[in-house]
Amino acid sequence: MNPLASSLAPQAALAAGVLGALGLGLAARPKALWGRLLGALALLAALFALRLAPPDLLPPLISVDMKSLGWQLVIYAGALPLAVCSAGDDVETALLLGATLGMGLLCVAGNLLMLFVGLEFMSLPAYLLVARAGEGDRSRRLEAAVKYFFAGALAGALFLLGMALYYAQTGLLGPGASALGPMGRAGVSLMAVAALFKIGAVPLHWWLPDVYEASAPEVSAFLSTSMKAAATLFLVRVIQIAPDPMFAAVLPWLGAVTALIGALLALRQERLQRLLAYSSLSHAGLLILGVGAWARLGADPQALASLLFYLGAYALMSNGAFLFLAASGVKTRAELRGYAARSAGPAAAFAVLLFALGGVPPTGGFVAKLLILWQALRAGLGVPAALAAVASIVSLAYYLGLVRDMYFESPEGEPAAAPAPADAARARLIMLICALGALALGAAPLIYGELSGGLWK
Amino acid sequence: MSLLSALWVVPLAGALACALSGKAARWTALAFAVAALVLSFIALKPIVAGDGSAFNVVMGAPGAFGVAYSLTADGLSLSLVALTAFLNLVCVFASWSAEVGPGYWACFQALAAALAGVFLAADLFLFYIFWEATLIPMFFIIGLWGSDNRRHAAVKFFLFTFAGSIFMLLSLIAVVVAHQRATGVWTWNLASLMGTDLGSAAPWVFLGLLVGFGVKIPIVPLHTWLPDAHTEAPAAGSVMLAGVMLKMGLYGLIRVAFPLMPGPTESWMPILGTLAGINAIYGALCAMAQTDLKRLIAYSSIAHLGFCLLGVLSGNQQGVTGAALQMINHGITTGALFLMVGFLYERAHKRGLSDFGGLAVRAPRLAFFFGFATFASIGLPGLNGFVGEFLCLSGIAQSPILFAGLPFFAILGAIGVTLAAAYALPAYQAVFWAPEGPNSVSVRVGDLDARESGILWTLCALMLWIGLTPSSWLSALAPSLKGLLR
Repeated sequence: MNPLASSLAPQAALAAGVLGALGLGLAARPKALWGRLLGALALLAALFALRLAPPDLLPPLISVDMKSLGWQLVIYAGALPLAVCSAGDDVETALLLGATLGMGLLCVAGNLLMLFVGLEFMSLPAYLLVARAGEGDRSRRLEAAVKYFFAGALAGALFLLGMALYYAQTGLLGPGASALGPMGRAGVSLMAVAALFKIGAVPLHWWLPDVYEASAPEVSAFLSTSMKAAATLFLVRVIQIAPDPMFAAVLPWLGAVTALIGALLALRQERLQRLLAYSSLSHAGLLILGVGAWARLGADPQALASLLFYLGAYALMSNGAFLFLAASGVKTRAELRGYAARSAGPAAAFAVLLFALGGVPPTGGFVAKLLILWQALRAGLGVPAALAAVASIVSLAYYLGLVRDMYFESPEGEPAAAPAPADAARARLIMLICALGALALGAAPLIYGELSGGLWK
Repeated sequence: MSLLSALWVVPLAGALACALSGKAARWTALAFAVAALVLSFIALKPIVAGDGSAFNVVMGAPGAFGVAYSLTADGLSLSLVALTAFLNLVCVFASWSAEVGPGYWACFQALAAALAGVFLAADLFLFYIFWEATLIPMFFIIGLWGSDNRRHAAVKFFLFTFAGSIFMLLSLIAVVVAHQRATGVWTWNLASLMGTDLGSAAPWVFLGLLVGFGVKIPIVPLHTWLPDAHTEAPAAGSVMLAGVMLKMGLYGLIRVAFPLMPGPTESWMPILGTLAGINAIYGALCAMAQTDLKRLIAYSSIAHLGFCLLGVLSGNQQGVTGAALQMINHGITTGALFLMVGFLYERAHKRGLSDFGGLAVRAPRLAFFFGFATFASIGLPGLNGFVGEFLCLSGIAQSPILFAGLPFFAILGAIGVTLAAAYALPAYQAVFWAPEGPNSVSVRVGDLDARESGILWTLCALMLWIGLTPSSWLSALAPSLKGLLR
C-alpha cells in the first residue's frame, strides 16, 4: 500500500465510521445496539489500522512516527468506553467518531495548519456531545456546552492569532525557524496558551469543572481522557514545531501549580462529578509538568514515553471513575456513604480506581506518577517535583475520603439513594475492566520489561 | 519458586484464599500463617547455624528503566520476616473468636505479605512498592474493625505515611538519576546505588529519606498519627502496627538511608542523636500523662523506638546489635501488652486507667501476664528488654558522639529508661492492684481462657528465652549490621 495511505488508515476507518453512523440515521428505527456496535468497531478498526502505519514518514503535512502511533493508541482506546456506554443513536455515534477523528488528525499533524484543522475538528463535535448526551436536566448541559464552546472558540482564536504572528515573522507554518524575534515569540506563546486552555491549566481552567460536572458521566470520561491526551499532544506539537526556551522555564512551574490548585479545590467538593473534574485538573498539572520536563530535556524520547504511559494509565483510571458514577447513579458523597455494604463489587473496583488515581502502589497510577516525577528530577526540576508531590498528598486526602465514605461510614437516614440506572450493566463491566487494567499496569515495570523497554529506546 | 519469594508469595496467596473462602476464612488464615512461619524458620535456620552474612539472593533481569525483581536476605531481614510471620500467627489466634468477615483475615495476610516484601527487597522500586502496599490492608483493618474514632485514625495513618514516603520516593529517584548520570546505567538495585555522589543536592535527598523513614519510626514531631492509629486499631491491628510496622522505619534507615548516603549520615549524626533522645524522653513523658491504657502503650512505643535509634547511631558493636535485638524485643513485648489491653477491652469496653482496679484478684492470670510483659518492657534483668536496653545504653555511652565532653546521648537514654518505669508501673498498679473505685468496671472482667492464656504463655516464654540466652540471637543479627559500625 501507498505509505501515506496506510499511515492514514486509522483516520480513514474513523471517517468511514462517521459516514456509517450518519447512514444509520436513514434506517427507519435504528437500534441503539447498532450505534454502539458501529462506534466500537470503528475505534477497534482504527486501533488495528495503527499496525499498518510505516514507522517513519515525514512529509510536510503529515508526520507519522512511533510516538504519534502511541498517542493514537491512547486516544482511540480511551474513547471506547464512551462508544459502548453512549445512547447509541446515529448522531451521538457520529459526533463521538468525528471528535476522535479530529484527534487522530492532530496526532499526525506535521505543521500548524494541520494542527488547527485537527483542533477544530475534535472540538466542534465535543461541544455538541456535551449538550446532547445524557438524561435529565438539559438546561445545565446546554449552559455547560455554551461555556465550553466559548472557551474553545477563544482557544482557537488565540491559536490562529499566534499562528499568524509566527508566520508573519518566519514565513513558516512548520518547524525550522532559526531564531525568533519578539513577534514570533509572542505568536508561539499564544499558541501554547491555546493548548493550555484546552488542557485546563490554571488559571485557564475556569470552564473545566462546570463542563465536566454538567455533562453525562461517560462524556466527562471521554473529555478527561482522550480529549486531555489530544490537548497534551497539541501542546507537545506546538513545542516541537517552535521550540523556545521559555517552555522549559515556565511549563514545569505552571504544571506544579495546576496540580496543587486542582487538588486543593477538589478537597472541598461534595458532588462527585465535580470532585473528579478537579481531580482531572490536578492530573493535568502533572501532565504539564511532564511536558515541561520533556522540553527541558531537549525533546527526550524517554520523557515523551513517560507522558504516554501517564496518559494511558490515566485513560483507564479516569474512564473507570467516571463510569462508576454512570453505573451506580451515586451523585454526592453523602449518597456514597455505606455504598460498599450495598454493592461490594463496584465498590471494590471504585476503590482500586481511587487508589490508582491517588498514585498508591501497586497500581498503574503509581507507576505513572513515578515516571513523571522521575523525568522532572532528570531535568533538574527538584522544586516543581516536590510541589507535585505535595499535590499528590493533598489529592490522596480526598481519594481516601471517598474510600472511607464507601467502606467505613454507614448511610445517613434513607439508605440506597439513587437506584442504579437502567442500563448500568455495560458501564459496570467497563469500569471493572478499567480497574483491572489500572491494577495490572502497576506491575508494568517488572512484567512488561521488554515491552516498555522497547518504548524507551 | 525460591524460598525468599515464597516468604511473601505464600501470605499473599493466603490473602486471596481467605477472601474466597467465606466462613472458613479463619482456618485458611491459620493454615497460611503457619506455613509462612515454618518457611521463615527454614530460611532463618542457616543464619542461626552459620555465619549469617548475606545468605540468599534472587536476581531478576532488569526490565524497563532498570527495575528488577531482586530479593536479598540476611540475619536482620530474616529475623524481622520471622517476627512478622510469628506475630501474624499470634493475631490469627487472638482474633479467633472475633465476629469478622473474610475480609479481616485477608487483610492480615496481605499485610504480612507486604511486610515480608519490605524486609526482603533488594531493589528500591520493589522496596517502595511493598512499603506502600502495607498501608492499604492496615487502612482497612483500622477503618473497618477499629474502635470509635477509627475512621479518622485510618485516614490520618494513611496520609501521614504516604506524605512521608512520597518524599522518600523523590529522594530515591534522585539517587537513581544521579547514578545514571555518573555511570550511564539505569538501576534501582540498592547494592549498586551505594555511595552515589549527589553533590550539592545530598542534604535534601537525605532529608527526604529521613522524612519518609522518620514518619514510620516515628521521630517526634512526625509522630502524631501513631497514638491515634495504635489506639483505634483492633487489638490484632495494634500488634502488627507496633510489633512490625514501627520497625519498618528503623529498618529503612539501617538498610537504605545510611548505606546509600554515608556522607550526610555522618554529618547529621548529632541532629539524629538529638532527635532520638527527644523521642525517648518525650514519648515517656507523654505516656506518663495518659489516662487511656492503650494510648499509654502507644506513647511508650515512641520512647522505645527513640531508644533503638540511639543504639543504631552509636556505631559500635554493642549499641547496634542491642538496637536490632531491641527491635525484635519491642515487637514481642508491646505486642503482648496490646493483646492484653484488647482482651480487657473485649470484656469491659473500657480502657481507662481509672476504670479498673483490683483486677489482680478478679483476673489473676491476666495480671500475671501483664506484669510479666510490663517488667520485660521496662527492662528487668533476666527478661529480653534488659539485654537490649543494656547493650544499647553501653553502646551509646562508648560512642564518639559527645556533647561538651559528656556522653550526652547516653544521659538522655538513661533518663528515658528511668521514665519507662515511671509510667509503666503506676499504670500496672492502677489497673491491677489499686482498690476498685465506685465507677470500676472490673466486675465485668473474667479471667483469660485457655486460648488467650496459650498465646500469652508463648509470648512470655519467648521474652524469658531471649532474656536468658541472648547470645545466639545476637550472633544471628550481628553480621548483617557490620555496615553500621564506625
